[in-house]
Amino acid sequence: MADLPSDLVVAGVAPRADEAAAAKLGGRWRGSLGVIVPAVMVAFIFGLCFIWPLIGPVPSPTGGTILDSNLAAFSSGHFLGTDAVGNDEWARLLYGGRASLEIALAVQAIGLVLGGLIGAVAAYLGGLRDATIMRLLDVVIAFPGLVLAVAIAQGLGPSKLHTIWALCFFSVPATARIARAATLRVREQTFMVAARLSGTSFPRMLLGHIAPNVVPQLLTYALLGMGIIMILEGALSFVGLGVPPPAPSWGNMIAQGQSTLSAQPRYVFLPSAALFITVVSLNLLGEGLRSRWGAQ
Amino acid sequence: MSSTSAPLSTPLAARAGWGARLAGSPTLRFIVRRLLAAIPVLLGVTFLSFVVMNSLPGDAAQELLGAQATPSEIHQLQVKLGLDQPFLTRYWDWLHNAVIGHLGHSLSSGQSVGSILVSDLPVTFELVALAFLFSLVLAVPIALLCARKPNGVTDRLSMMFSMAGLSIAPYVLALLLVFVFAVKLNVLPAIGWVPPGQSLSQNIEHLILPAVSIGLGLLCFYTRLLRADLLEQMQGEDYVVTARAKGVRPWRVLTRHALRNSLFGLITVVALNLGTLLGFTVVIEDIFGIPGIGHELLQAIDNRDVPVIEGIVFVFAVIVVLSNLAADVLYSVLDPRIRYGRPTE
Amino acid sequence: MSEAVLEVENLRVDFRQPGQLVRAVDGLTYSVDRAQTVAVIGESGSGKTVSSRAIMGLLPPTARVTGSIRFDDVEMVGLPEKVMREHRGRGVAMVFQDPTRSLNPTMRIGAQIREAIQTHGEVSRAAARDRAIELLELVRLPAARERLEQYPHQLSGGMRQRVMIAIALAAEPKLLIADEATTALDVTTQAQIMELLRDLQQRLGMALIMISHDLGLAASFADEVVVMYAGRAVERAPTRKLFAHVRMPYTRALLDAIPRLENASHTRLAAVPGQPPNLALRELGCPFTPRCPNATDHCAEHEPAFEEHEPDHLWACWHPCSDEARL
Repeated sequence: MADLPSDLVVAGVAPRADEAAAAKLGGRWRGSLGVIVPAVMVAFIFGLCFIWPLIGPVPSPTGGTILDSNLAAFSSGHFLGTDAVGNDEWARLLYGGRASLEIALAVQAIGLVLGGLIGAVAAYLGGLRDATIMRLLDVVIAFPGLVLAVAIAQGLGPSKLHTIWALCFFSVPATARIARAATLRVREQTFMVAARLSGTSFPRMLLGHIAPNVVPQLLTYALLGMGIIMILEGALSFVGLGVPPPAPSWGNMIAQGQSTLSAQPRYVFLPSAALFITVVSLNLLGEGLRSRWGAQ
Repeated sequence: MSSTSAPLSTPLAARAGWGARLAGSPTLRFIVRRLLAAIPVLLGVTFLSFVVMNSLPGDAAQELLGAQATPSEIHQLQVKLGLDQPFLTRYWDWLHNAVIGHLGHSLSSGQSVGSILVSDLPVTFELVALAFLFSLVLAVPIALLCARKPNGVTDRLSMMFSMAGLSIAPYVLALLLVFVFAVKLNVLPAIGWVPPGQSLSQNIEHLILPAVSIGLGLLCFYTRLLRADLLEQMQGEDYVVTARAKGVRPWRVLTRHALRNSLFGLITVVALNLGTLLGFTVVIEDIFGIPGIGHELLQAIDNRDVPVIEGIVFVFAVIVVLSNLAADVLYSVLDPRIRYGRPTE
Repeated sequence: MSEAVLEVENLRVDFRQPGQLVRAVDGLTYSVDRAQTVAVIGESGSGKTVSSRAIMGLLPPTARVTGSIRFDDVEMVGLPEKVMREHRGRGVAMVFQDPTRSLNPTMRIGAQIREAIQTHGEVSRAAARDRAIELLELVRLPAARERLEQYPHQLSGGMRQRVMIAIALAAEPKLLIADEATTALDVTTQAQIMELLRDLQQRLGMALIMISHDLGLAASFADEVVVMYAGRAVERAPTRKLFAHVRMPYTRALLDAIPRLENASHTRLAAVPGQPPNLALRELGCPFTPRCPNATDHCAEHEPAFEEHEPDHLWACWHPCSDEARL
């Protein structure tokens, strides 16, 4: 059954040109929409968090006075009101999002470079060396990740940089596994065999042949992973680690709001909603890109 | 292989040779091989946690004695706790003791780590079990309904819902649930825990929100996974064509044929999720004030109680490694393709 | 009522694919009489499998079927799925190429046969079990009773194909389609399975469609042969007539590709040269033109009609082979 259509996978002009053209146009539109919409959302969120505070009238997220505390939304000068110590909530949301996004980006970047390299090298070397590297990664993965991150972040002390290091224990091994699998697929293709036989050096091979085939796939997974990292960053904040207050991050805002959940639920739900919308957008973008890759 | 050597044996004869067959059975050899392969991973995990604990700045003795302690007092305590020994010596001593089941004593309470684990682990297990139960009991029927009409209304709705569920952080969900069910509706307790021995119904009542907080993400993940696999079976497998060619109804093909084959993959994933799940219990137990192992871990980290942290990390690692092993074994026991090996080929 | 169990007329199957339509079967016409064996021969992609799946109503939703398939004087094209389902197994049953993949690896043999029995009629579990044993004995599977408790992986390829045949026979179909049923088996088993099929067909009075790429197999077992190319029938005749007077150059080429005993071993087999055409590219003329030794400019421009040029012998070619072309 599966081999029915694959027997017939062919390109060219169909018997009814008009029908085929219509199908083609519709299919392409629908396919792109799944990528464009979330991409616009992600770009909008990034713009709000990174650029708007620089150019727009955004107050400082810290250093508010107790006189301004707990102002309701739409108060004068405070579009979303103020928090329990009088900081502008809207500013905290934007700066908090910047911190959360920065952490997620840094963690995924390190994961991509380090994990990608480890995975590609393991797959390229093959045999015992591959097995050894992968078993070492198994060790890290067998470690309940959040526990490890908690231990590391606690030991190093709460700070943004330490949060990034701690969360890399998730991204590096996970990316390495994906990179390894992708490299293994590329490795057996004819052009790779040819390159190997003609004595191309490994770094050249990595940059010239492996990377172009593996990186797009890794980037897609990195997008899907970014959401998870953002959620984990919040989890660290929750147990008193992560980004140390008073500097905001979505995670520590949610964690701090927990104590006033019944009286002032917005302190929890504003950053929660921001986190949720961002993660959904990232996930939708990742899914959209992945199904695109799958279709090709 | 054994399967072809005795394919026609009567049940009685099979029972007589059962012991001998088991000893030489591929399943048993497989289990033993996997157990052996798990040992280096366990060694690695314990070593890693030791490295992490020891490379952290700060000092347990300092922490215990407080800021006013003199250097000599600190040194005395270090000697007493064996903290002055070289790193590898300490690791070896710990490993040696861990293997014989002796995980040391808490630096802060003096309680044995073993007894702490014995009292806290069941609480966490119950929470995790309820989360799995919640997610699997719902994921299977939902995935079946989705796969029945791919891109139909049910399918689209549940795919949207599950994307949202996957994107919501467990702690956000926990706070949302507390807000709705405890603060606004006041139908479920927001915090606390009751031992099942005292009142099972109250015990469950207190665990519903925590279990759903952890389980919803899993539910969404399993639903998507199972749906995708069911569709792959339905669209890609020849045995499905055979079943349809018999005139079997599509729903029955889905539930009797495709589901059987898809479930094996799901079992593996469930076991692999256990590590992530244990990680999130730390946060969830903290939010709901459940005296489980995650709660204990946070306290130990706060007190820099190295033996307790070591013990908990070790047990977590053992659980993760064993559950991965269990997944493999379960797979091989359930799936007849592996259970009976392949015929002479 | 006519003698024919199945009449396929001007059957057309299109696959809707992203951006294009692919015509897998194009105007196929043939019929199968009661207790007759018809071989449908062609390379992979010639539409032989797709046309048989159309008869079963087992094509994916991307397929569009037009034309006519009359089974027992009932039009099958356009029937609702529910009615089609009744027809599957009871009217037409099918045996597939790969018995390893065609049986559910996680279900016992007995359960898979019982399912075929119980789908068409209220049968008790015990009665279904007895019938399953009967069926396994019918397909000459040794130790039938014990087989019921076994899984597909515990059987050899030949045994699995016997189980597949037992499943196909469960609801006593009037027509059995064997789709490359022996291709995945070794030569000895192949012969046994073919003998079994022929024997069963005669005993049960079923019609049989053999789908194969192997003209040799057709020569030994079929009453009539339909040769397909690029989704169309290109030659059709009773077996004896066809092999005595091959007209279509494509059939000739297939025949030359059969390994012969009189050739020394290790002689190179003559494969049919060239590639089958791209089915999405509809071109004028005869689709076999690029590979045909007899082709002329005329062939590339005009498509030959599939017509009865000699009694009972149809072909579609401007330059048919003469009888002296070979032998």
